[in-house]
Amino acid sequence: MRPSFYDHLHPPTIPAPQARFRYTLAAGGLAVFFMLVLLVTGVLEMFYYIPTPEQAGASIQTLTFLVPYGGLVRNLHYWSAQLLIVVVVLHLLRVIFTGAYISPRRFNYLLGMSLLVICLLMDFTGYILRWDQGIHWALVTSTNLIKSIPLIGSGLYTILVGGSQPGSATLIRFYGWHIFGLTLVAGVVLVWHLFRIRRDGGIAVPPPLKRESLDRISRYELVRREVLAILLASIALLLLAVFVPAPLAPPITEASSNYATAHAPWFFLWIQEMLKQGNPFLWGVVVPLVVIAAMTLIPYIFPKPTKDELGKWFPHSNRLAQIFFILILLVIGILTIVDLLPAS
Amino acid sequence: MRRLIVIASALLLLTLLGIAWWESRRVKPVALIPTITGQVEYCLTCHADIAQISKSHPVQTFGCVLCHGGEPLALTDDLAHSTLRGGKNPSDFSVVQASCSGDKCHSGTAETYSNHIQRATTSIQATYAGAIASILYTFGAQPDLTAHYGITAVEDPLSTSGITELQAFDPMAQTNPFIKLFGQNCLTCHLSAQPIDGQVYTRFTGCAACHTPTQTAEATQTTEIHKLTTAISYTQCDTCHNRGNYDLRTMTFVPRQDTPTDRLHNYYQPIAQFTKCEYTLDCVDCHTRTEAMGDGSLYSNKLDIQYIQCKTCHGTLIALPQTRTLTDPNDLVFRLAQLNPVVNLQLGDTILVTEKSEPLWNTRVMPDGTYELVGEATGQLFGFKPVMGSGCQQDPNDQSSAACHQCHSVQR
Repeated sequence: MRPSFYDHLHPPTIPAPQARFRYTLAAGGLAVFFMLVLLVTGVLEMFYYIPTPEQAGASIQTLTFLVPYGGLVRNLHYWSAQLLIVVVVLHLLRVIFTGAYISPRRFNYLLGMSLLVICLLMDFTGYILRWDQGIHWALVTSTNLIKSIPLIGSGLYTILVGGSQPGSATLIRFYGWHIFGLTLVAGVVLVWHLFRIRRDGGIAVPPPLKRESLDRISRYELVRREVLAILLASIALLLLAVFVPAPLAPPITEASSNYATAHAPWFFLWIQEMLKQGNPFLWGVVVPLVVIAAMTLIPYIFPKPTKDELGKWFPHSNRLAQIFFILILLVIGILTIVDLLPAS
Repeated sequence: MRRLIVIASALLLLTLLGIAWWESRRVKPVALIPTITGQVEYCLTCHADIAQISKSHPVQTFGCVLCHGGEPLALTDDLAHSTLRGGKNPSDFSVVQASCSGDKCHSGTAETYSNHIQRATTSIQATYAGAIASILYTFGAQPDLTAHYGITAVEDPLSTSGITELQAFDPMAQTNPFIKLFGQNCLTCHLSAQPIDGQVYTRFTGCAACHTPTQTAEATQTTEIHKLTTAISYTQCDTCHNRGNYDLRTMTFVPRQDTPTDRLHNYYQPIAQFTKCEYTLDCVDCHTRTEAMGDGSLYSNKLDIQYIQCKTCHGTLIALPQTRTLTDPNDLVFRLAQLNPVVNLQLGDTILVTEKSEPLWNTRVMPDGTYELVGEATGQLFGFKPVMGSGCQQDPNDQSSAACHQCHSVQR
């Protein structure tokens, strides 16, 4: 049987031990799935969303409450975006905790890191498009953080905001970045990332003599596993979308400048907590960039995992990288929890 | 693996069917496009059962959002109500300017009598300036009885009373402990104050304090009263004016202990001598719009704005009460009679007017020289005669109501 187009996207066979859910967590594949859901639901949302400060809130309310299945589409878009962040971080965790980033996959690790950053930016720009009182604080704070950068800050601010304060120019720019600029870059880098997987020899495995098993599964079996993961993820996504609606607050008006619900999106709460230390440039710009840079440099600065230990969890040879990464996640997690605790 | 896929597919199908069923059960949104705003709103999806607030605010014309605020497109409880003005009461004075349409309807109009917001918010019932000035004077905090403070800071550059502004009264900034106690215990009956607990005290704040009836039999059985009226029963006034006394020695409120069930025993307690017509009528039958809602100027005491006496309607031995024959179809009285149609006024009718030319629109001068009054809240018809030509022996130099009460009074 000649493979179908979808089957053909997959290698003819892949090693069985590394094709298990417990090894891959299905994280990379689910990330692609959520991106596709985001693309489809995002296109549907574009038919109703009006990117002006006066109309944005009302158009989202129209979509959510009045368009048949509009609320479901919006909730699917929202939950896909949140779950995308989760599975992308899980994917990164798997790659680091199996040592899969060593040469020849170092470059693809960089592409993956850039996809993580793009995902965060996509999530954040999408969050801002709500243009309601729930995002007002995050909008003002994040753009002011840009301004705090020495020398280039005010220039960057003008480019991003399009004026002296957030307004209609800002919204259309965030909209442009969200639906076109970032989407285009994400698409290109994603295809490149997938291409490099094949070019780098598929999933990382130890040398043949070191393998516990030489069994391989066919592309058809791989596709079946993908289908199962997609079915389960779809059910989870639909249930979340039905039972936990995406947040929505009253539109921003001139009278509503009191930031009643002053908080960042959940994936940036750790930065919000650090900002309480003062010095916005240090805690809001430098430290987050250092964290991203440190994670990016993991393949370059820590002892490399040996090839013999590839293809399994927790190789001894890169323990330091594992500890370093888990420490970063821990600190981010603790800062997030502290920020969520009610102020004493 | 194939079996797992079949099971997962079945589960997904079930989920999708469940969602379709869920979606089909959703309440169909009910759209309303009020003629004033032209902006669609969906409040009636959930609130179709709320009665129209008054004949002069038809829902097809005003909708809900113009007065109440809120999110017109939202269909969830939280979001739809998140931007309501004044919670359930958009007439609270903190938001009344926005709710009652600022410069379009109840303020900023060319006709002074229509500037209800400006009048009510500067009125003595809103500022409480008289009580505050009196307390400050009594406890030596100011040298005279002129008002300098109100419940909130308020200005009236065009004041005809000589008082152009009041500062916000802050009892805690005072040194005298009695004045502090006054602030804590006695600021409960101005138009911005939340009423004290108890059904007989139940009222809203702002315009609705008087215009939304909370004391009728119908109102006491519900927590949702959506009504504005000018037919204000004495029981509504009683929520503030006849419910007990403030004890100046302890600076506490002492509620009245009796529970009167008839008008005679329920009549305004502070007045010891009164006549039958006073307790038979409602407060608004005699006390005018200006007395209750002010004339737009700031005053130091309610006595500066309150002026109706027995003679306003009955005249004196040497003078008949003032009257006006209706010749202008745009006369305010027709609007007032339309708002509360207890009388059917016609051009050519003659009505009584007060000493300040305020129309007593619910009265009429009859061809035989007698007068008729229809109760604004009760619709009850009363006939009465002028003093002139009667056997009244009152001193012509003392025409106060108190002098009338020397002979005309009933026992409680």
